Amino acid sequence: MHAVVCVKQVPEQNSVKINSDTTIDASGITPIINLFDEYAIEEALQWAEKNDGKVTVISLGPDDATDSLKKALAMGANEAILINDDSLGQVGAQGAAKVVAAAIQKLGDVNIVFCGKQSTDDETGQFGPALARFLGWPQLTYVFKVHELTDSQIVVDRALEDTLETVEASLPVVITAVKDLNEPRYPSLLKIRKVSKQPIPTWTLSDLGLSADSLGGTINIAKRTPPPPRPSGEILSGDVQTQVKELVQKLIESQIL
Amino acid sequence: MIDWTANYGFFLNEQHDMLRKTVRDFAEKEVAPYIREWDRAGAHETGVAEHMLPIIKRMGELGFLGVCIPQRYGGAGFDYLALAVVCEELERVDTALRVVLSVHTGLNSLAVFQWGTEEQKQKFLKPQATGEKIAAYCLTEPNAGTDVAGMQSTAVREGDHYVLNGEKTWISLSDLADHFLVVAYTDKSKRQRGMTAFLVERTMDGVSTSPIHGKLGVRAGNTGSVVFNNVRVPVANRLGEEGEGFKIAMTALDNGRYTVASGATGLIQASLEASLRYAKERETFGKPIADHQLVKRMISHMVLNLETARMLCYRAGWLKNQGIRNTRETTLAKWHATVESFNAANDAIQIHGAYGFSDEYPVERYLRNSRGAIIYEGTRELQELLQADFALEDRVSKPLRCELPAYDEDFWNAE
Repeated sequence: MHAVVCVKQVPEQNSVKINSDTTIDASGITPIINLFDEYAIEEALQWAEKNDGKVTVISLGPDDATDSLKKALAMGANEAILINDDSLGQVGAQGAAKVVAAAIQKLGDVNIVFCGKQSTDDETGQFGPALARFLGWPQLTYVFKVHELTDSQIVVDRALEDTLETVEASLPVVITAVKDLNEPRYPSLLKIRKVSKQPIPTWTLSDLGLSADSLGGTINIAKRTPPPPRPSGEILSGDVQTQVKELVQKLIESQIL
Repeated sequence: MIDWTANYGFFLNEQHDMLRKTVRDFAEKEVAPYIREWDRAGAHETGVAEHMLPIIKRMGELGFLGVCIPQRYGGAGFDYLALAVVCEELERVDTALRVVLSVHTGLNSLAVFQWGTEEQKQKFLKPQATGEKIAAYCLTEPNAGTDVAGMQSTAVREGDHYVLNGEKTWISLSDLADHFLVVAYTDKSKRQRGMTAFLVERTMDGVSTSPIHGKLGVRAGNTGSVVFNNVRVPVANRLGEEGEGFKIAMTALDNGRYTVASGATGLIQASLEASLRYAKERETFGKPIADHQLVKRMISHMVLNLETARMLCYRAGWLKNQGIRNTRETTLAKWHATVESFNAANDAIQIHGAYGFSDEYPVERYLRNSRGAIIYEGTRELQELLQADFALEDRVSKPLRCELPAYDEDFWNAE
């Protein structure tokens, strides 16, 4: 079994600061692996270990995205590939999916792709489904449990808004992972020592037989607005009975009760 | 938030950075959410907090306990600087975690690595590096701390055994350890030259332990007494030769003090980070307290002491990597980092005002935890005297029969 995990390097949310002109202050940003992708990595590793398989992690991003790939290697992935090209700076989710689909096709022997359900920076949730579309494979999104995975079939539980469903699919397939899928492992100390010497190949668009024109529209951020400030709280006065009465009244008025 | 660990590339490499992230992730996920409750429980209960054993086992599984031990002895094969990185990150969350590295890895395992026979390394070091067995270090006695020669424990040779008697106290992990590195007199008339070191196993008849109650700090950890009552220790468990016990104890302290200094550096960072967060949030006189000059002064002193402590620690670690004796450099780092960790925590409380006086915020725990390290593993006063003696050339480090091996990547990697 050859599993690919798509890994996006994103800013740690607490490290993102907005400048007074609403641009993002890039200086203090701490790059991390997208939260949902860590669950995808862990699931791929667990099933590869059970099936004597192999895990390749792929990231589309700048050169420093190798930090995330190295973490995935230290967690246990076998190989990593960085896709970096000057023309990919503003690529949208669908364009990125097209590029990664070409990389997966180039690898050739891939049975299953694990992605996070969405990234914590753009939050579009489009990448996994678009990737499945470009590969022409079935997609199983919002997976919170994988019951069975063989070289030909997979059985999973999906968490939908108001439904939990158990689904079977034949391989190859694209999975998108939700938070409860597993408990991601820490990088192994022995592997940390090895991965700093492991080369990570960088593929460009031309390596994948693509051109920038073929990727569809790019995304330009027209405007960025900070969330409105939270209204200040209200302190109720009077004795406890009066306060409780007033509180209940306010909760009813606000349609909370 | 500034990354206070950045720009140390002249000592650290990418592997150290990944290691740091891993240890930080562990400490923040698996300890930070619970540490206030563990610390509170340690103040009231038996002194052997139930949480500690699973956490030590977890640190063993993750490879932290053998981080700088060669892979052939069950370790992760990092260098000695990595030990500092682990200690910094553990004590950044709580001192009790770093104490494990100090006694298990610094004082015991590295002493076995430095002085032990191949058989002893296989029997003791290997299971300690993986965390399968837990190790402690027994030097201090009820009437002998800094004055090591005042110890009363004795070991009398009887055929292929020694009969060990005595009481050791203020022993970290006393109630959890499987292995104890114990120093006792085999010939009291020779003073320091009459001391011998032994690797004692809890399973031996006559070993008993009990916790110490009512500690000021490190309440989440376990500290206690170990009593040896006619314990028959095989000669094969003697570490080094007869009469080498004092040297073994002191070289172990070169490694233990290094972990204490590194941990204290992490504690300064924790105090600084807590102070920066609070000083930006809290407003007085219509502006954040971070805008008041005397608050800025406390912050700037924390920065100065954090960076100087860190550099002193890394210099000591670099010397260990080169195989160069580092007693002077390590004691300087230990003196500076521990004293300044107390001052940083004290100022962090001041910045937090009355909130800092309550365990609603972590800074009062930092203060209580920092205080012990100004006493244990060499008091502040001992470090001061050592520095003067080195400067006056009244003290020199003479070559040893067994030096701590220099870091050799090929040897450390070989299985």
